[in-house]
Amino acid sequence: MSTVTLTINGRTVTVPKGTTVYHAARQLGVEIPIFCYHDRMPPLGACRMCFVQVEKMPRLQTSCTLEAQEGMVVWTESPTVVEARRAILEFLLINHPLDCPICDKGGECPLQDNTFKYGPGASRFVEPKRRFPKAVRLSPVLTLDRERCIMCWRCTRFGEVVAGDHALKGHDRGYRTHIDVPPVTQERPSKFIGNTIAICPVGALTSGVYRFRARPWDNRPVASVCNHCGVGCATWVDARGGEVVRVRAREKAEVNDIWLCDLGFFGYDYTQHPDRLTTPYVRERGVLREASWEEALDRVAHALGEAAPRVAALGGERLTVEEAYLLGRLFRSLGSNHVDARADARFTPSAREWAWGSGTFQALESAAVLVLVGCDLTEEYPVLWLRAKRALDRGLVGVAISPKRLEVEPYLKCSVLHDYGAEADVLYAAACLVGERAGGLPEPLREVDVDESCRRAGVDRAAVEELVRCLEAGPAVFAVGRLSWDGPHPERTLAALQTLQAVHGGQVWVLRGKGNAVGALLAGLVPDALPGLVALDDPQARARLHEVWGFAPPEEPGLSTPAMLEACAAGALRVLYVAGADPARDFPDGALWHRARAGLQLLVVTELFWTDTARQADVVLPALSIFEREGTVVNLEGRPQRVAPSRMGPPGARADGEILQVLAARLGRPMEYASVGAVWAELRRAAPQLDLDRPTELPRPRPQVEYRRPAAAGRQEEGLWVIPAAPLFRQGEMSARSRGLPELAGTPAVVLHAQDAAALGVDDGAEVELRAGDAVARVRAEVADRARPGHVLVPVGFSQLPRARWANPELRVRIRVLEGVSR
Amino acid sequence: MAEPVLLRYVREPDQGEIEAYERRGGYAALRRALRELSPDQVTDLVDRSQLRGRGGAGFPTGRKWKFVPKDAPVKYLVVNADEGEPGTFKDRTLLEGDPHLLVEGIALAAYANGVRTAYVYIRREFYEARRKLETAIAQAYQRGYLGQRILGTDFSLDVYVHPGAGAYIAGEETALLESLEGRRAMPRLKPPYFPAVMGLYSKPTVLNNVETLCCVPWIVREGPEWWLQQGPPQLYSVSGHVDRPQVVEAPLGTTARELIERAGGVRGGRQVKAFYPGGTSSRPLPARHLDVPLRHEELAQLGSMLGSAAVIVMDETTDMVKVIARVCEFYRDESCGKCTPCREGTVWVTQILDRILHGRGRPEDLDLLASLARNMTGTCFCPLGESVPPSLRAGLEDFREEFEAYIRAAREPVSMPVRLHLGAPAPGG
Amino acid sequence: MLSEAVKRDIEALRGRYPVAQSALIPALLRVQEEQGWVSPEAMAEVGRLLGLPVEVVAEVASFYTLIFTEPPGRHVVQLCTNVSCMLSGAEAVRERVERALGIRAGQTTPDGRVTLLAVECLAACDQAPCMIVDQQRHGPLSPEEAARLVEELD
Ligand SMILES: Cc1cc2nc3c(=O)[nH]c(=O)nc-3n(C[C@H](O)[C@H](O)[C@H](O)COP(=O)(O)O)c2cc1C
Ligand code: SF4
Ligand code: FES
Repeated sequence: MSTVTLTINGRTVTVPKGTTVYHAARQLGVEIPIFCYHDRMPPLGACRMCFVQVEKMPRLQTSCTLEAQEGMVVWTESPTVVEARRAILEFLLINHPLDCPICDKGGECPLQDNTFKYGPGASRFVEPKRRFPKAVRLSPVLTLDRERCIMCWRCTRFGEVVAGDHALKGHDRGYRTHIDVPPVTQERPSKFIGNTIAICPVGALTSGVYRFRARPWDNRPVASVCNHCGVGCATWVDARGGEVVRVRAREKAEVNDIWLCDLGFFGYDYTQHPDRLTTPYVRERGVLREASWEEALDRVAHALGEAAPRVAALGGERLTVEEAYLLGRLFRSLGSNHVDARADARFTPSAREWAWGSGTFQALESAAVLVLVGCDLTEEYPVLWLRAKRALDRGLVGVAISPKRLEVEPYLKCSVLHDYGAEADVLYAAACLVGERAGGLPEPLREVDVDESCRRAGVDRAAVEELVRCLEAGPAVFAVGRLSWDGPHPERTLAALQTLQAVHGGQVWVLRGKGNAVGALLAGLVPDALPGLVALDDPQARARLHEVWGFAPPEEPGLSTPAMLEACAAGALRVLYVAGADPARDFPDGALWHRARAGLQLLVVTELFWTDTARQADVVLPALSIFEREGTVVNLEGRPQRVAPSRMGPPGARADGEILQVLAARLGRPMEYASVGAVWAELRRAAPQLDLDRPTELPRPRPQVEYRRPAAAGRQEEGLWVIPAAPLFRQGEMSARSRGLPELAGTPAVVLHAQDAAALGVDDGAEVELRAGDAVARVRAEVADRARPGHVLVPVGFSQLPRARWANPELRVRIRVLEGVSR
Repeated sequence: MAEPVLLRYVREPDQGEIEAYERRGGYAALRRALRELSPDQVTDLVDRSQLRGRGGAGFPTGRKWKFVPKDAPVKYLVVNADEGEPGTFKDRTLLEGDPHLLVEGIALAAYANGVRTAYVYIRREFYEARRKLETAIAQAYQRGYLGQRILGTDFSLDVYVHPGAGAYIAGEETALLESLEGRRAMPRLKPPYFPAVMGLYSKPTVLNNVETLCCVPWIVREGPEWWLQQGPPQLYSVSGHVDRPQVVEAPLGTTARELIERAGGVRGGRQVKAFYPGGTSSRPLPARHLDVPLRHEELAQLGSMLGSAAVIVMDETTDMVKVIARVCEFYRDESCGKCTPCREGTVWVTQILDRILHGRGRPEDLDLLASLARNMTGTCFCPLGESVPPSLRAGLEDFREEFEAYIRAAREPVSMPVRLHLGAPAPGG
Repeated sequence: MLSEAVKRDIEALRGRYPVAQSALIPALLRVQEEQGWVSPEAMAEVGRLLGLPVEVVAEVASFYTLIFTEPPGRHVVQLCTNVSCMLSGAEAVRERVERALGIRAGQTTPDGRVTLLAVECLAACDQAPCMIVDQQRHGPLSPEEAARLVEELD
């Protein structure tokens, strides 16, 4: 790389060509004040705060926009610079209310700091200040004080450049310019607004949740990790007086950079919600009553002891890896391999082949193409979208193969919208075209009729050809998401993906799993593998475990979630231990869950709240939230990161790990550790590939060309195909109890294409009844082209639309407008 | 006095018709260029004519064209018909009076620069001008002066008229390109967005003013030497306290005194107090400079500029405080709001001037205004904000006693509520 | 709801530019020609037609003074108040016109007949003081002539 050498305040510095003078100065430790410049966005040069003087240039230059040149002589503190800076600050302050004492930003405000360092002592402004309405609520989580705004354009550019959601915009012009949202309601709220609060250099944008709750110097920041989704963003949790008052992003270049999504930003209040469970409950004569820990644990231990090995465990995404490891160890000590962290999935192939999880997020920077296969990235893993967006801006080619239109479509080169469940046909058609171009179709693909595949998927051949042209850019990351994994034919999709991967090259990511789900799998919460995803019959691993545990796990693979539930229903399994999962609500086959529950002798749940599963349990144990304990969580990349407690749990609740240890002791299979660190150390002996802060390579089958024929077309059923899609903001147990988030979730609406809406007489906004088998729901309908003809998008995860009823991928639904309610 | 060149036919009512235009020698330059001249030769003619841009910046047109990379596959020509500088109305006069002259100039500029698509960015209020121009363009297409394979050559050109929507700043070249791309008209960072290399849609773009392009057919037809012998011809928009405000064509370097005479003299036979030589962005000059040649160099020496050559004449009865306050208000309302000194400085300055005008001035206000003028100089993102200090400076230096008179007569030196509020009812007012 | 004719025209406008967003301002003006202003719903619809988020449409619309985001009167009168017109008596014209309409510049008559705008230089200083009524320019105007013009509007 070529470099340039320049002089700043008499000192020389050599920087790569293309570096701005601002950054060159920083390299020397020379500070230049800025407002509009933010190093995650291109320079703008609007605020004029960062002036420097450059010899041979007649005007002062904004250092944030000025590229360093060989031999440049720069002064950052010359009298003209000091004078101009003071002038700019004076201009910025004339209309800025001096309400610092009651401003949330006070104490961490760049305007305050810069004024202190560089500002004029007194104001010469005697005119009346500009008045705007104070504290305008722009969203449930965002409050705007326009009087404080210095129009630095950071928030608006964040929406353009970083998030791509255009959430905030400058309206009007000149001195009337102000930040605003559009006059018509947006289709969906921004998922990233917290970041604008974080980068606002004044107190103009403040958190509707944090407002007036604390002053920064009173907060005790704890480094932790967000556990809402699988991205695993690094956070600072600010606590004050035993309360979590806010969550901020902690810089972590490889994971979240400096960003968070709004679930992470605002999803913390639940932890101190009065609904928290604080005492165990046991069922007696059909009803749940409060019980002591003694009694409850006795009951569980007794039942487990009695029933072993016909016992099973589900859940893990809310646990730490250490706890997941202990859960697996306990059940294995009882002779059961029936453990599965994939508690809400119907499709559970061997995790030794298809573990949930991605490659390193940074791979997006080196990949040529990103193919989203049934993956609604912004709803599922929002911060991963920010990384993808940045890569797309730098030339990564984005492609979607999806049964619904994605929010990020404008940033993609091509979107192939297909009939639900037919992505395999698209992938096979693409594989054929790729193969043909490469000059020769591998044998199994000769069977594929491209035109026929396209027809079956309901797509134009031209769209697939476009997709193939996009692939030509180079190796791809194929990211399979929930719309596929939980869709009608995931096995066939994976086979088709393997085929395309074999003929084209690239890697497959499985973007599935919230919280610590990937960590739980790696810790051994899978029926067919040992910790570290080692084969059950691996003699070395068994020997090692025997040495550590004092026993070896059973050799026979256990049952994965759906089979496990069938076995419960059949009475073959007697006790089910559910840790931080809500299968009654989330397992996409409510009927099976019901039968399973009915077949069980004892259902144990460790929980924070009265979930559906908890209500049906025989023993309910109050557990701790992620803010209340230490340990390790693993993100989609397989990257372990430490979480640390920022508050005490409610009295009466206990950490899952502690619960498991007590149970183990009562069962005569003690698991004793001096600390959480000791558990981690032991886990690492079983799974040495786990290393703090290092992505773990997750197992994937070797790419191979294989053609799986489509399932014979079944009986053509009536009605629209239900595409269950869980939005980021929904009525989760945690989000429902975090201030701001329920309003962001709003009331759910099913989405129909105009064509179907017209045929059914449904107006946009009408109240409709959905009926599929015995599932009935009343909801609002939205008419939009996010849905394809013949399909209806059903937002699951709301009380009226639980996954248990509406996430079945074979559902077809009849829709009826409710008389008199439609508008 | 020599026969006018640019204005020669503007008062002929039929000049907007293509037959009349052709009859008077129109499109001969284009025919000649396409038949006899290479694109570079056309650029050379323009270069040799020493033509300088007539939009305000006065940049030599031939040099500008030479910045455009030759081998770029896609290039654009954008015509600046936004004419917003207060006091300027020569582009409108040309558009309404001789639209084919512009069309021919566009075709020549496009040919010289290897452009196949041209957009005319025309301000919304030019309803009649736009109708005339669209008619002319349609006629030129019919006659084969525009469109595919023009006059049987390999040269093709499409021209589209694009309306503005009310924003003075859209006349600034990079803001214009933003606006043409469908965004808020806010100036772009230069570098890297020099239009000639990274303009419309980030492609090389030739951007010229209407009058500039109207000069080109004459230069190509009659040659640069002839052009220079004519003066060169320059349009001065003469308005204000003159008897017959009008566009005056005169050799570059004509004095204000002569121009005022050509516009019928000062209204009511009064004396001149001051005049803006180049629109309100230039520094207004007191009457003692009436005999200065209105040319780039001489005006620069006086701290003023030729700008758009809009001569606004103010007679002895003029209240300079009021004029300057009105000018500052204009820039306040037309600031795009991107940069701090322009957005905030224009507000502050107008608040102070408003206060002085309303009898609430303080003696220290004059030093404050001078200081604000200094603080807005060399600090703004684009020239709009920097258009305020020249008027202020002239006021404080050349007409100081008028300000002092207001302040001496001030009743209560306190601040008054100022008409500043969000979403003021009237746009533009 | 936009009429079919407007939608067709917007489609045609879009074809003039390599990038759809370039058609935004002409499209908004086209909508305004038909509906008198650009309502929030129209913004959303134009956005859909051009593939632009409504946020972008709104921020652009709000920048330009001649895109009306509130309904104006049936007639729009633009009265120049900039320097050349001011020197030629625009203030008197403005006062007289305001009196004739019973409103101040920036307002619309209560009967929705006329919106009066005080505007910047119309590039017609040879006709100062001047005024544009709907799409027709008038000038030079005496206060009385100006008042008569606005009074005649129906
Ligand atoms: C604030 C501002 C407003 C301007 N308005 C106009 C205008 O209305 N018409 C115009 O031709 N040039 C205007 N200009 C000058 C243009 O930026 C540009 O220099 C000119 O159009 C180039 O064409 P020319 O070289 O042919 O003069 C303006 C410049 C500034 C800074
Ligand atoms: S000086 Fe600044 S605010 Fe003013 S118009 Fe230029 S960029 Fe916009
Ligand atoms: S930080 Fe450089 S101009 Fe704002």
